[in-house]
Amino acid sequence: MSTWQDLVTASLIGTERAEVPAATVPGLPGPADAAPDIPFPDNPALDSPVPYDPAALLLDRAALLTVARRGGRPAGQAEPLPAAEPDPAPAVSPAAGRRLARMLGGEHPDLLAEWLTAAAARDRRVPAHLLPALLDRARRVSPSDPELRRLSAAAGGSRARWLARLNPDWKFVTTYAGADEDAWRLGGKSQRRGYLTALRARDPAAARELIAQSWETAGPERVMFLSVLASEGLSLADEPLLEAALDERDAGVRGWAAHLLARLPGSALGQRMARRALGCLRIEGGMRGASLIVVPPAGCDTAMRRDGVTSRQGGGLQEMDGRTHLLHEVLSRTPLGTWTGQFGLTAGQVLAVSSGAWAPVLFTGWSRAAMAQRDQEWMTALIDWALAGGPTGTLFGAETLRQLARRVDPARCARETTASRAAEIPPPVRDAISVLRFRYDMLRELEL
Amino acid sequence: MSVPQAKVSTVAERWDRERVLALAPDAPAQRTAQSLASGRAWPVTGAAAGAVWGECRGSAAAPYRAVVDLSGPAYRCSCPSRKFPCKHVLALLLLWSEGSVPDDAAGPPDWAASWLDARAARTSRAPSGAPAEPKDPRAAARRAEQRETRVASGLAELDRWLCDQARQGLAASQQAGYGHWDDIAARMVDAQAPGLAERLRALASVPHSGAGWDGRLLEEYALLHLLAAAYRRQAGLPPPLRETVRSRIGFSHRQADVLAGALAGGQPVRDHWQVLARRDLEQDRIRSRRTWLRGRKTSRDALLLSFAAAGQALDDSLTVGADADADLVFYPGAVPHRAAVLARRDGSDGGPPDGGTIAGLLAGYAAALGADPWLDSWLAVVEITPARAPVPAVRDADGDALPLHPGAGDCWPLFALSGGRPVTLAGEWTPRGLWPLTAWDETGRAVPL
Repeated sequence: MSTWQDLVTASLIGTERAEVPAATVPGLPGPADAAPDIPFPDNPALDSPVPYDPAALLLDRAALLTVARRGGRPAGQAEPLPAAEPDPAPAVSPAAGRRLARMLGGEHPDLLAEWLTAAAARDRRVPAHLLPALLDRARRVSPSDPELRRLSAAAGGSRARWLARLNPDWKFVTTYAGADEDAWRLGGKSQRRGYLTALRARDPAAARELIAQSWETAGPERVMFLSVLASEGLSLADEPLLEAALDERDAGVRGWAAHLLARLPGSALGQRMARRALGCLRIEGGMRGASLIVVPPAGCDTAMRRDGVTSRQGGGLQEMDGRTHLLHEVLSRTPLGTWTGQFGLTAGQVLAVSSGAWAPVLFTGWSRAAMAQRDQEWMTALIDWALAGGPTGTLFGAETLRQLARRVDPARCARETTASRAAEIPPPVRDAISVLRFRYDMLRELEL
Repeated sequence: MSVPQAKVSTVAERWDRERVLALAPDAPAQRTAQSLASGRAWPVTGAAAGAVWGECRGSAAAPYRAVVDLSGPAYRCSCPSRKFPCKHVLALLLLWSEGSVPDDAAGPPDWAASWLDARAARTSRAPSGAPAEPKDPRAAARRAEQRETRVASGLAELDRWLCDQARQGLAASQQAGYGHWDDIAARMVDAQAPGLAERLRALASVPHSGAGWDGRLLEEYALLHLLAAAYRRQAGLPPPLRETVRSRIGFSHRQADVLAGALAGGQPVRDHWQVLARRDLEQDRIRSRRTWLRGRKTSRDALLLSFAAAGQALDDSLTVGADADADLVFYPGAVPHRAAVLARRDGSDGGPPDGGTIAGLLAGYAAALGADPWLDSWLAVVEITPARAPVPAVRDADGDALPLHPGAGDCWPLFALSGGRPVTLAGEWTPRGLWPLTAWDETGRAVPL
């Protein structure tokens, strides 16, 4: 080793100023230490054009030692790692794993949460070799979507916890895995969220109790509390807490509470909305069949505002006038059973009634209601309506279709447009079809 | 006449979108293909046994019929387009890649089957005819002689340059720009020694490769100096070693000559070759793919090289983790492991290879170095557990350890796959460390790393 280092040092300085050190290879005969030597004594005539150049000699010896060191390299030592605890849950099917790899590579990354939820629900694991890419992604996108961290930790199982001990970047995994009461009492916001989320998944009532106890002193954490309620196990037992939150000062808290109550089947808020909504729509029979008569609400009163209806316009809904916007707000919070009950029709039949120029507003309002209430029958009917050339020719219609395609059960709805074949398919419809097919395959692969 | 099927039946890990689009001859073809990739335009599609086919409704009365043999890949379409592959083929593959082409157990329809069978028959036959004889043997001999003269003077110049470096000292290399190596590399191109030029260009990054750069640069200079000496003395070298020296300088054999068995020792070797590892490299806008195989019966290692200009697809016919029943012909050399595929029959699912020990790997590499001192990448198939301290490394049951190659990154997927338990790993062993390429999971499935 030292001979090699001597040669390196000499080569750095250069043979103009440095001696060429001797090179010896243990076990190799030869006068490698006699300088100047002839590296190829068997045929000196053919050797270097400058036979006794010290630079050539240095390179000769370095070549000899390079090959000797490469060939004679001894194995080294390394500290073994502790083994991960075995994970009883099996990995997902190879096809599902390949799709996850594609998603981590940038194909429909917004569907990762659905993949992970579906895998965890079937008690299947992320293929181990994909965990590093998944955990990196969960770490990067976390501010906008803390849910992805929780889902990654859940679907990653014991192998993800083992990795998190090796790489501090992935420490968040342990926040969700092993959070104890200390995390709640002493931890920062993300640890408290982790503890509460885990508790909610395990015991929804206990989590509700803990939120109710901590409510008075929670301050800005109340929004976090409500977002945890949203993620799992929402039920009518949560209603008193949410109804009380409608009278909070913080607009963020009020908005979350109204959103959750509108989602909750049988809530008082839903019934109040239904009374408002029923005044807005009715079906009349005419010469050319039935049609929907639409009368938007006249204005927004205090009670409507308390229930989360905003008269403010913005975002993709700018093109609506004030009353149309109010109709949309009311429709999107009204229990969908109101319509099937009132008209005595199925969702698909309600959508088939001609609604003229109101169709885009009804489509987005009902779609938002269907997504919030997780009503697959309505989502399916709405998607089928849109793919059959329904009313999506507006900015907000396209965005609504985009979201609908990500939430509807793809096995139940059409995955092919039945719009007129001559016309080019509009891009939002094409995108929706591609998402529906992707999700259909994705969920099917997770069943394998 | 019935023809034995020669398609690889390791069907069809579905390609991703990027891979399909990479086949497009130009950007407009990519665009038109994407707009054509909708179920509406394709009333008939199907996939089975490594092939995809479909009928595309176009402006013409009859539909265009496109068929793809995924093992080539090779394409055929009835449209008049001169682009290759045409937009129909690309659109069909896009549909297939997004899962919109149903598997068809009945197999391809007649129009597709006839082309696929003809293709299968062609690929299973040995390449036809003898290698083309040079038109004018005397002119060819004269050209060859001229090249020898040029290479000889180029190597003499290179050796003087190397000695100059050693004389003036390597310390200055850290301040030298790329031009320092590019100039001498360009002279090797002029001297018709492209192998040397490539090696020299790669040296520009060595002074910035971290601690120990000086030793690594000296190693490379010394081995080039050795190569120059070996070329001067080639007449006295055993023929296989002479072949190694000449191929490292850049005298290459045409693959057709190798396959035709025109060269010494070029007998085909038939085996069930395990496709163990694959590594893609890019240099000077040329992408190259190194595929490592090991014969189940012969235990022989083989290295297949393929090249593609940037943007073009590399040879994808061998799937890592599968077995290929194939005849390989080896290029001549002191350690003959570079090979070309003469013929291929059915493939099969491989299952993991037998992982060896680190001591065995080092002994095998040492023996090979004895025959070819320039050998700097060697197939490693070992049963190991990854470790992180003192440096990222792999460790076998005997407690022997080898570092992972610093250029391979943090290798987290290997760690995740192992979970601290032994795994079978295939990779390239190099003087700087082990470059991990494939590991087998607990179900015996190959996972490219």
